Amino acid sequence: MKRRNFVMAFVVGVMLPMIIPLLDKLPARSRFRRFLRPPGARAEKDFLDACIGCGQCANVCPNKCITMAGFESGVENLATPKIVARAKGCILCMACTQVCPTGALEKREPTEAGIRAVRMGTAFVAEDICYSFAGRTCGVCYRACPLPGKALRLGLFEQPHVDPDHCVGCGLCEQACVHMPQAIRVISTNELAMGSYTGTN
Amino acid sequence: MTQERTRSTSTTGAGLFTTGRLLLILSVCSRGGVLLLLCAFALWTEYLNLKVGYNSARLVELSSGKPMRIFYEYSDAFFTMLGDPVQVMQSNGGMTWSIRVMGIQFTDPVAGLSVLVKNRHMPSGFALGLIVPLSLALIFGRVFCNFICPASLFFFSISRLRRLLRHVFYFPEYAVNRGLAWGVLVGGLVAAMIFGHGIWSLILPYFAVGQTIFHGLAFGTLYATVGSIAVFGLVDLCCGNHFTCRFICPTGRLLGFLGRKPLVSVRRNAAACLTRCTSCADICPLDVNPKLDQYRDCSLCGECLTICPGNCLSIGLKKGGQRVDV
Repeated sequence: MKRRNFVMAFVVGVMLPMIIPLLDKLPARSRFRRFLRPPGARAEKDFLDACIGCGQCANVCPNKCITMAGFESGVENLATPKIVARAKGCILCMACTQVCPTGALEKREPTEAGIRAVRMGTAFVAEDICYSFAGRTCGVCYRACPLPGKALRLGLFEQPHVDPDHCVGCGLCEQACVHMPQAIRVISTNELAMGSYTGTN
Repeated sequence: MTQERTRSTSTTGAGLFTTGRLLLILSVCSRGGVLLLLCAFALWTEYLNLKVGYNSARLVELSSGKPMRIFYEYSDAFFTMLGDPVQVMQSNGGMTWSIRVMGIQFTDPVAGLSVLVKNRHMPSGFALGLIVPLSLALIFGRVFCNFICPASLFFFSISRLRRLLRHVFYFPEYAVNRGLAWGVLVGGLVAAMIFGHGIWSLILPYFAVGQTIFHGLAFGTLYATVGSIAVFGLVDLCCGNHFTCRFICPTGRLLGFLGRKPLVSVRRNAAACLTRCTSCADICPLDVNPKLDQYRDCSLCGECLTICPGNCLSIGLKKGGQRVDV
């Protein structure tokens, strides 16, 4: 009888955590997934396997660009760090990579070599709405870029041209863009790997 | 005769600060300290921003005599005492279940299990962080629950509320099998494997408190974990005293299992114990029965020490099967 009580309570207990995925009522399409991972993040699956959501990266971020995801990004991204580039881009100080205890973020140094090794995403320019492509000289994104002349090159009327080989995807250009909505967008490496983004450079 | 003697010692011999009361005060202070530490982690980056802003001379000029300047100067003096402020900030951080204090990593056993099950690989620093929590559990039992867990401060205040209003409202008292918490542990691990480690932020009360504090102070937003804390509080009010700690929290169950034979625990003087008194078992928030010398799940909260009319309970050290006084 005692063992039966234990087993029954155990079965009820196993079911209790399964309520949480049921709370995630958003359809897959409306989920907010257009965010970047902190620099040094491993490939998305490995990252999600390792990240326990302890929040040390968000605690240490001096720019406060790392936030913790909630239900808006789906239950699999719950309590994982994210960077919304339009709100605040990453300044590539690499403090978060130094503190990560589980190795979800690989250790990086805040040197130029360390910055160049980062692949958070790639910037894409929407030429139809960009001011510079409409003949109004702007160049704000170029001035925000940490690797100007390499990741972002200027053309006529300061038209931005992204070099996907050098762009680290820090999101500072997207944060700085004066057009509303932003004419330059950083698409995360994960989203590019999934092939759901159809823009071209 | 024996009973008469012990009664008189309990009324005359016990001072204002008995071991039980000291333990209660210590537990509230240390849990409050952990709570303050979590708040400090969330606010320290704000201090760093202030420091950057303050370094411009114009701001120094503008802020003379303002409270912000006083706050800045005191916090700067404090952080400079600890070392380089930037390094101090980088060596501290995290939620309660995985926290870094002064560069030392402390890992929650549940976090370790979850990573082991899902990732099948643990970095050495993360694994070394398990040593302190596990040895604490092996030596002292479930002391994490009473001295570190910030959510247990919330449940402690709810239990005091229940005691305060016990003549006004009816508070039910239910009990379920311990298998429930084991089930929550296994179910949480399975859910973490399928969906992600973030599931734990809603299952573990202390992780939920950490997330809520971090979001409230660092971003000024309410997080989904507030709902989970509210549910746990409601369960504590409607289902029993410390119901969450006793029957739901998987960490408490795991630590209680690890510390089922603690080295240091409550010790009973059987000669002085009153035969028909069960006040210690009645007041214990975690279902321990000192009367039967069972100390599994004991978190050294000291409630039984304060209530014992015979004054026969003390904190003792177990040595080679025989218990001796400290």
